[in-house]
Amino acid sequence: MKCFSRYLPYLFRPPSTILSSTCHTEADIISTVEFNSSGELLATGDKGGRVVVFQREQEVSHGRGNPAASAFRLGRETILFIEVTIASCPNSCFSSGQSKSQPQRRGEYNVYSTFQSHEPEFDYLKSLEIEEKINKIRWLPQQNAAYFLLSTNDKTVKLWKISERDKRPEGYNLKDEDGRIRDPSTITSLRVPVLQPMDLMVEATARRVFSNAHTYHINSISVNSDLQTYISTDDLRVNLWNLEITDRSFNIVDIKPSNMEELTEVITSAEFHPQQCHTFAYSSSKGSIRLCDMRQTALCDKHCKYFEEPEDPSTRSFFSEIISSISDVKFSHSGRYLMTRDYLTVKVWDLHMENKPLETYQVHDYLRGKLCSLYENDCIFDKFECVWNGSDSVIMTGSYNNFFRMFDRNTKRDVTLEASRENSKPRAILKPRKVCVGGKRRKDEISVDSLDFSKKILHTTWHPQENIIAVAATNNLYIFQDKVN
Amino acid sequence: MECAFDAQNLISISLRKIQSSRTQRGGIKLHKNLLVTYVLRNARQFYMNKNFTQAQRTHHYEDVATVCEKQDYLELSGSFTELSDDFYCNFGGVESDTWHCGAHQPAEVAHQDAPACAMVSLGDSNLMGSDACWSCADKSAWELSAPNTHPNQKTVLDLDTHVVTTVTNGYFHSDCCAPAKQPQGAQGFGKKRRMDSSYHLVDPEFYLSDPVPCKRIRTEEDFHSDSEQLDTANISNLISVLGSGGLSEFMSWQHSDLEQIFAAQTMCLKQTLLSGSGWTRAIEAF
Repeated sequence: MKCFSRYLPYLFRPPSTILSSTCHTEADIISTVEFNSSGELLATGDKGGRVVVFQREQEVSHGRGNPAASAFRLGRETILFIEVTIASCPNSCFSSGQSKSQPQRRGEYNVYSTFQSHEPEFDYLKSLEIEEKINKIRWLPQQNAAYFLLSTNDKTVKLWKISERDKRPEGYNLKDEDGRIRDPSTITSLRVPVLQPMDLMVEATARRVFSNAHTYHINSISVNSDLQTYISTDDLRVNLWNLEITDRSFNIVDIKPSNMEELTEVITSAEFHPQQCHTFAYSSSKGSIRLCDMRQTALCDKHCKYFEEPEDPSTRSFFSEIISSISDVKFSHSGRYLMTRDYLTVKVWDLHMENKPLETYQVHDYLRGKLCSLYENDCIFDKFECVWNGSDSVIMTGSYNNFFRMFDRNTKRDVTLEASRENSKPRAILKPRKVCVGGKRRKDEISVDSLDFSKKILHTTWHPQENIIAVAATNNLYIFQDKVN
Repeated sequence: MECAFDAQNLISISLRKIQSSRTQRGGIKLHKNLLVTYVLRNARQFYMNKNFTQAQRTHHYEDVATVCEKQDYLELSGSFTELSDDFYCNFGGVESDTWHCGAHQPAEVAHQDAPACAMVSLGDSNLMGSDACWSCADKSAWELSAPNTHPNQKTVLDLDTHVVTTVTNGYFHSDCCAPAKQPQGAQGFGKKRRMDSSYHLVDPEFYLSDPVPCKRIRTEEDFHSDSEQLDTANISNLISVLGSGGLSEFMSWQHSDLEQIFAAQTMCLKQTLLSGSGWTRAIEAF
């Protein structure tokens, strides 16, 4: 039986604090989610510096099976694993498509391991507290029985090894089963210790700590396809690390001006190309993306490609710079495209075309008229992430009111869905939602003014092969799966 | 496009954000502060454009002011260097006060028209060492003319009454009662650029090289904790109480009692208002 002792303090809370989604602690807010490369594991990081890893149970059953929504209330988290059919979904990716005779794969995600990755620290030199919030988690592809992931807070990156132990040695000569040392004079014969099965224990150990390399706040990490190096990125610099070496890193991008007065942009995200180990891209707060080749120079301050779309002067406002700041950049799995997310749009760029994006999708353009109040309540600074599906045909990103959006690149259809407990019942069809922008509001529509801006979906992830998505809504994690019938 | 009042509101909100970011957990977020300063710049640009068009409509407009405003308008751009230049006009190298004479207008009109630029400069903590906070100023015109031979003197043009007033050592020659302020010197131009560099962005690495800014930061935080008690939404009140050049004094008086300074300026404001000279827009020329 797996040990969830970490959650014990929470289980004894009065029910109201568990059940009420508005009454959660700041530390429980999920700050990152990531599937590993096989999709078997799903990691989440939160503001309290904890990492929770879920593992999928492989279940293959024939026939219809028993569709169900499994709800795990483990103290701070409610994980709803729901099989849903998403009607009118672009590309029918979440609708029924298989015949009844085919076996269903309905693996559920259960908590596999949980550990405290980062603790709050204090920088005495600058009198600054360093938050323990996990900004990013990135998995390393599996190379042996253990799993490895990188997790980072504002200043320090850590490499964690997650391994299972289901056997333990028994029959020591010098100590008995309790661990007490035996009196050597009482030993009359020797035996060879044997491995006996035990209850499965999942251990997480910090194998490397990469610290003291960033003056500014780390916003992203990215593992190279060579599986030996990775980059960590803060506001002004990108550092290249070797996974084995913790006491030094190479600075490969530095946009800090000699005079800070001249600073006009910061780096917001960086990612390695999925296949080319010498290529990486980084996005800026000015809405541009630079592609760099590490073979050209040691310091990649000069880009080899520069992607930027000229600003439309007709949409100029006080907040033009804020809404054009890119919050996330992701290479497609094919490596041919780049996707960027700014405040109101998602753009897909072809790496061969630098002057404008290939496709632009409006996520929530109805917010354009509300930028002033969004600025006031700080929502305009929210950093939404974006993800590709496994085949790069659908892209997904989050919005407010626990809405998230999917765009089918081929059919140009899009859908808005909501991650909420009320709407997530067993065998439920996840109904598309619609925001009413003006005029008469229809029955199922929600008006812009009724949107709850405290419920935002910033972090989402898509299974690398299947249509399973994980969506983080504040302190809740929702896992949706394509329903096969 | 938002109206001028929104611009003013935005500036006020932005300054509050910058100020609160200094005390939030995890340290100052460079990215967010950078974006906030862009909003400040945009709001200021809008506000000054509006002032410019308004001023053009009036008949009694001083030539100097016209030229300079226009010049200033054309100079507006995005870099922080230029932005900070626009705010800090006195480059005599000597600390001097900028105490702006109020015009004879009621306060409610005043705060609507109070120059956004001044508000911007005041709200920020690392403004130290900069002497004037009025950006609308006739900087370029004065640069063309002979350098100011009286570093402790400033000429102030009130945009509403179009009265030109000279301020010496913090005293208005007209009616205000600024307390005597000894110019501290030394904190002036030589350090100006470095201080300006922190105007919008607090560079953690900057702290390491020079311990002085750390001191200033703390001082400024004390100062801001006082200012929080004010109605910061009322730009003109804030300007009045702080004194547009007052921050530079705080800079030089690192060890001074901020409470005293604050109290002194508050007193002056009250007297000014009571005397009927409410607060309004003013351009400071050098």
